[in-house]
Amino acid sequence: MAAPFTLRKIGVQPNSANLTEARRRVFDFFRAACRSIPTIMDIYNLQDVVAPSQLRFAISAQIRNNAHVTDPKVIDLLLFKGMEELTDIVDHAKQRHHIIGQYVVGEGLVQNTGSKDQGKSDFLKNFYTSNYF
Amino acid sequence: MASMAAASTSLQARPRQMVTAVKCFCQGSRSNLSFTLRPLPTRLSVSCAAKPETVDKVCEVVKKQLSLKEGDQVTAATKFAELGADSLDTVEIVMGLEEAFDIEMEEDKAQAIETVEEAAELIEEILKAKA
Repeated sequence: MAAPFTLRKIGVQPNSANLTEARRRVFDFFRAACRSIPTIMDIYNLQDVVAPSQLRFAISAQIRNNAHVTDPKVIDLLLFKGMEELTDIVDHAKQRHHIIGQYVVGEGLVQNTGSKDQGKSDFLKNFYTSNYF
Repeated sequence: MASMAAASTSLQARPRQMVTAVKCFCQGSRSNLSFTLRPLPTRLSVSCAAKPETVDKVCEVVKKQLSLKEGDQVTAATKFAELGADSLDTVEIVMGLEEAFDIEMEEDKAQAIETVEEAAELIEEILKAKA
């Protein structure tokens, strides 16, 4: 059995120089999250509920949700929030129903499912700005 | 002797998955030897270092990860990008392999993986180092 993975509490440094470094940090974060999955399943007793591959898919889906971002600073902030969430989960600061509701069952938190409006109608995009367009 | 010839010809007829990974120079150099009386069975002239079971298991994980249908061909030389995987998918496949084989891959080596074969070879290296 490989040595159990311990999540070192390194915060994400807020200074990615360019997109490549931000990308590398995303993959590092993803790997750290995937390697903590056995611990998570152990803590919250998810062995019968979900398979590790489904949790990996949930994590990658969340990352993919923000895949269109190109600003390294924004990526850093998203990574910081992701790291915060992961640390909370691993520290057992959440409860089982949180994990199941947010990552196992389809919907997730309601405020997360609204994707930023991409390619919706121009009418709706300008609706708040003015009446005349 | 006759049975060997028959076996080798039947191997030629059936498309083996390893044939695509065979580099041409292997068979070419063999045919230059004057004392070779029969063609070498293709099974032995594979040039990649990974065992077939490892490659098969890797293919399994890849298929499940990318949700490929049963009919799609995944051979040793297939690049992940050809199967429609982006870079995050590649990392996810590597994590799936880590879980399936119960190993830990180093980051820089894992970043360099592009084909099924490289993944299988890396896995075998790590397994050998662990044993």
